[in-house]
Amino acid sequence: MRHSSQYCLTVSGGRLELVRSEHNDALASASGVSSQRVRLADAALQCIARQGIAKTTLDDVARAAGCSRATVYRVFPGGKDGLVSAVVDTEVARFFSALALRMGAASDLEDVLVVGMTEAALRITEHPGLSYLLEHEPEVILPHLTFSHMDSVLSVSSTFTAPFLGRWLDHDEAKRVAEWAARIVLSHLLCPSDGVDLTDESRVRRLVRTFVLPGDRADTTETVDSNPVCTHITAQTGAVEKIDRSPRTTKGEAS
Amino acid sequence: MPCCLSDAAISDAAFLALPVSVVAVDAAPRQRILEATYACVARWGLSKTTVEDAAREAGLSRATVYRYFPGGRDELVDAVVSWQYQRFFGRLYEEVHGAGSLEEVLERGLVFARRQVLEHEVLQKVLQTEPDVLLPKLTVESNRTVGLISGFLVPYLHEHGLPPGLEVHEAADFLARMILSYISAPGRWDLSDPDEVRTLVRVELLPCVTGETQIVDR
Repeated sequence: MRHSSQYCLTVSGGRLELVRSEHNDALASASGVSSQRVRLADAALQCIARQGIAKTTLDDVARAAGCSRATVYRVFPGGKDGLVSAVVDTEVARFFSALALRMGAASDLEDVLVVGMTEAALRITEHPGLSYLLEHEPEVILPHLTFSHMDSVLSVSSTFTAPFLGRWLDHDEAKRVAEWAARIVLSHLLCPSDGVDLTDESRVRRLVRTFVLPGDRADTTETVDSNPVCTHITAQTGAVEKIDRSPRTTKGEAS
Repeated sequence: MPCCLSDAAISDAAFLALPVSVVAVDAAPRQRILEATYACVARWGLSKTTVEDAAREAGLSRATVYRYFPGGRDELVDAVVSWQYQRFFGRLYEEVHGAGSLEEVLERGLVFARRQVLEHEVLQKVLQTEPDVLLPKLTVESNRTVGLISGFLVPYLHEHGLPPGLEVHEAADFLARMILSYISAPGRWDLSDPDEVRTLVRVELLPCVTGETQIVDR
């Protein structure tokens, strides 16, 4: 993976924070308790990838982490639920962190979309826990990705992605295109297509050229050189910054 | 998504979205069982509906229900979800099949489908109470639906014309996915507002297949 960007996402207090980092391992450089949380979350992820959420016990996690059950309870007094939320937080942070690195390094609008969507598809399809759950415990995952919860996922994803597109597009257009790209990735995740492999960058490039950018060829020269910084994005669904519900009127401002 | 459900407002007729008389004694037994099961699901949910409930509701014996659904409860519930899902898209087809242009198909289809989702009381209830049971079944169905919608769109795309290098089935598959995506989650768009739907169709959906920016009068 490329490490050309100095930005990294960390989780703190249920929020995702994109911070300027001197190191690429900002996650690990957190305080002792945090790193223990991450270590236990990683152990839990290992167990989930092997046997799913329902069958994973705190004993399994303690064994995988090489610590006692009491330690797991000390770090996660809420037990399994708290541990599973920590896994989700950690993995969501890693997911967006990886996207930030790739998209931050992109040099034009087409590229930022192509690397963003390819990286997202790779991270999702090759994620050990997610692929196990989608196959064996879809009832755990799907409620978070469809209907009203899909609206939240789209909103979180486009809020996160829009600033990266904002180097080439005005704010509303960036948000619209970001949501559009997120829909494409989600659609192929939930309903894989025989002909379209989103982990194949050349395939994604064709998709972007054909279906994402025909309406947005506006200006493909970089206008803002600095890295986009998006300071606070809530990782949990629903509590993101207010999303404009009226594309029609906001688009009017652009013309 | 707002849930438009209130217990008091629930009646079997509303759940069936058909006159009660449709559940007639002379209806084909399979259909009669499906409709009876649906009434049970509306009342008690997917998980709690049993073969006995469905049999009682249909006025048939358990043995008859098992004859049509040898897999028992699981097969019955899957069949009901399938049946309702197909009815949903059947109605959508009825709504749009006479449309004169691709643009009209998309506009009428999105408005109609979104309204159907919101007004479908049983769907809304089950989405609230048993998403874990319903959604894996719906996902199986939607894999088939991408193919159905895309097949429906092909003649419209032929008529509409595509830019060079864009294959009709590729465009149809893509549009079908986006339509399903918007029906499930409209995101920033209010699909109950026909003006917004028109903008959505012209700004997002049509440019995919025309390959050019649509100038929208804003």
